[in-house]
Amino acid sequence: MSYLNYVIAAYMVFVVVLLWDFVATRVQIAQLLRSARLRAQRAKPAQAGAADGRHIL
Amino acid sequence: MNPVVRWFHQLGSPPTFDRFAARWAPWAYGSALLVMAYGIWAALFQVPADYQQGDSFRILYIHVPSAWMSMAIYAAIALIWRIKLCEILAMACAPIGAAFTLITLATGSIWGRPMWGTWWDWDPRLTTELILLFLYLGVIGLYGAIDDRRAAARAAGLLAIVGVVLLPVIRYSVVWWNSLHQGQTIRLLGESSIDASMLPPLFAMIIGTKLWFIGSLLARARADNLLREFGKDWVKALAETRR
Repeated sequence: MSYLNYVIAAYMVFVVVLLWDFVATRVQIAQLLRSARLRAQRAKPAQAGAADGRHIL
Repeated sequence: MNPVVRWFHQLGSPPTFDRFAARWAPWAYGSALLVMAYGIWAALFQVPADYQQGDSFRILYIHVPSAWMSMAIYAAIALIWRIKLCEILAMACAPIGAAFTLITLATGSIWGRPMWGTWWDWDPRLTTELILLFLYLGVIGLYGAIDDRRAAARAAGLLAIVGVVLLPVIRYSVVWWNSLHQGQTIRLLGESSIDASMLPPLFAMIIGTKLWFIGSLLARARADNLLREFGKDWVKALAETRR
């Protein structure tokens, strides 16, 4: 008896779950760094405006 | 001060830990992939089929290392300390442990269908492993539900400690009760009831899953560290350099 389909299915589960584990973390780190970059970019004009004496509403 | 203790204290600094994790996680992942590639290749193409189970026994090479990881990782979570970095590491363990528990349950179920004639049975080993998955989900959910990260880690750590009593029950369930699940086949100390020719890929997969765990732990802890430190100057500087 070969049961090859069951073996393939089991190894697919293994690969897919570990792939999710890898990709999910990388995406999370990339999103966090992107948010931090955007936040820093938004903060720059506000700081420049405050230095010029202008008020940003 | 002892150099190891000093190194550990330095690692407790969030920017230092970020650099450490960013540097070593790819190495751990890479090593894991190499070792597991050999393990999977040998498991599928090198090892002879079992005389009773045929090829279905090859599922053992992913099922057993994942099952061991599912229990070992949970034990690690329960060893939570009142140090910020340790809390981050402990909480980063939970999704990885849940992933390995899911693999254990799914691959066991896939193996059980041809061997036992059923996808699932409320057998003590299977049921306690399912409870372990729920405990992992509980720890992840509790940690995510509380805004204060340190309070969240403490609450989730407490739940983990309560759940740690399940580990010996899982381990000895096949001894204590009449179980459909087979007894202990592989012993690290003492003679295994599996043929020696079938063991090398298993050892490769055991080492490979551990290396994967280290890589994933570093990457997940790095993500949590960045989240906790979001808004700090070093995170902004890091984000700027990653354009």
